Amino acid sequence: MDHDTVVRQKMAERYLLNELEPAARDEFEEHYFVCPECAADVHAGDVFIEESKIAFGSEESKANVWETAASPAKPDRATVPSGWFRWLRPAFAVPVFALLLTVIGYQDSRYRSLRQAGATPEVVASAVVNVGVRGEAPVAIPAPAGQAFGLTLNLPPGKGFSLYKLDLYSLQGQLEWSRTVPAAASDSLWLYVPGSDQAPATLAVHGITAGGASEDLGRYPIELQNQK
Amino acid sequence: MQFHSFDQGYLERLQAGDFRTQEHFRVYFTALIQVKLRSRLHSQEAIEDVRQETFARFYVALREGKINQPERLGSFVNSICNNVLLEQYRSTIKHRPAGEEQPNEPPSPAPDPLAVCSSREIQQRVRQILGQLPERDRRLLREVILEERDKDEVCRDFGVDREYLRVLLHRAKQLFKSLYLKNNNAPEFTPA
Repeated sequence: MDHDTVVRQKMAERYLLNELEPAARDEFEEHYFVCPECAADVHAGDVFIEESKIAFGSEESKANVWETAASPAKPDRATVPSGWFRWLRPAFAVPVFALLLTVIGYQDSRYRSLRQAGATPEVVASAVVNVGVRGEAPVAIPAPAGQAFGLTLNLPPGKGFSLYKLDLYSLQGQLEWSRTVPAAASDSLWLYVPGSDQAPATLAVHGITAGGASEDLGRYPIELQNQK
Repeated sequence: MQFHSFDQGYLERLQAGDFRTQEHFRVYFTALIQVKLRSRLHSQEAIEDVRQETFARFYVALREGKINQPERLGSFVNSICNNVLLEQYRSTIKHRPAGEEQPNEPPSPAPDPLAVCSSREIQQRVRQILGQLPERDRRLLREVILEERDKDEVCRDFGVDREYLRVLLHRAKQLFKSLYLKNNNAPEFTPA
């Protein structure tokens, strides 16, 4: 395996992404053990990936923050989260969710204080989802389409998950939003979904063990029901 | 630019027990062995066992004068590592009988307080690079790196192909590499 081929075919990236077949992987390892340039490349890439896990992981543990992609205009500087969180400006690829404001908060005896960029406090309809309970009916939200709502997710106790992964799907089945959060001391999560022209249609919840194994805890259709 | 790696002088210094050369060898190949084994072994303890055995066998071969091509030093270390790994899989790593002299792997130096500071600097740089990415690219990397989702699924969800993912990683890595390799605690990938 010559060096030019390695560079041209982005072998280092393929290797770091575990894309190489065993024979190619062995051949590339044989190369970078004798090529200082590729050794530097692989090592730096590996450190970057490991440090990124830490960075992403610590981001998830600080979940009491509002993410906003609400307004096309730049948010007011005074309301933009500071420090690391100033980089949390989701801009969902799908235009339907371009105005979606989403928060995940940890529920204690009362909700912890939440800081929303550019919005005023409001009372929202909410519903409870008993995660992991079989036979659950669709989640009925007593709110018309376009209105914000909240979901309290009661998590199954005693499962020993380190992380929970929440996915929101559109009516067409497209994954529109996903978030992995550390398992908190309490047995529930609170999810705020702001108003949108097309609210998410399905919530999927997964539990992830410390070893990385993922368990499907349920898919919950969401139905917004006009209030009478 | 053509880097020159290990030469006869390096080999001689290693044989003579030159501390700086031995430390360079340890840091350099520890870094490469870590990357190699992380995808194959599931515990840091197992990785460390293989690394120590690899180095132990290397120093035995070095003492016995079995290393004749210094430019193939890396290849030799990789081969030893492969053999140890195979034995690990088969759980047949030989235990040296009591009383037999242990080959001397040079002791690791005490933890460097400066390493803590540089590690923080490295984390800050990584966060900075991630923060400068478009949100979509940041989420794409997070799905792949942290959540370890199937890459084809992630690419499908984000409407990109695998080459896009490789280029994204390549660019982020290049931004990081220039700072990292200047860091005092990074291995020297230039002549020792």
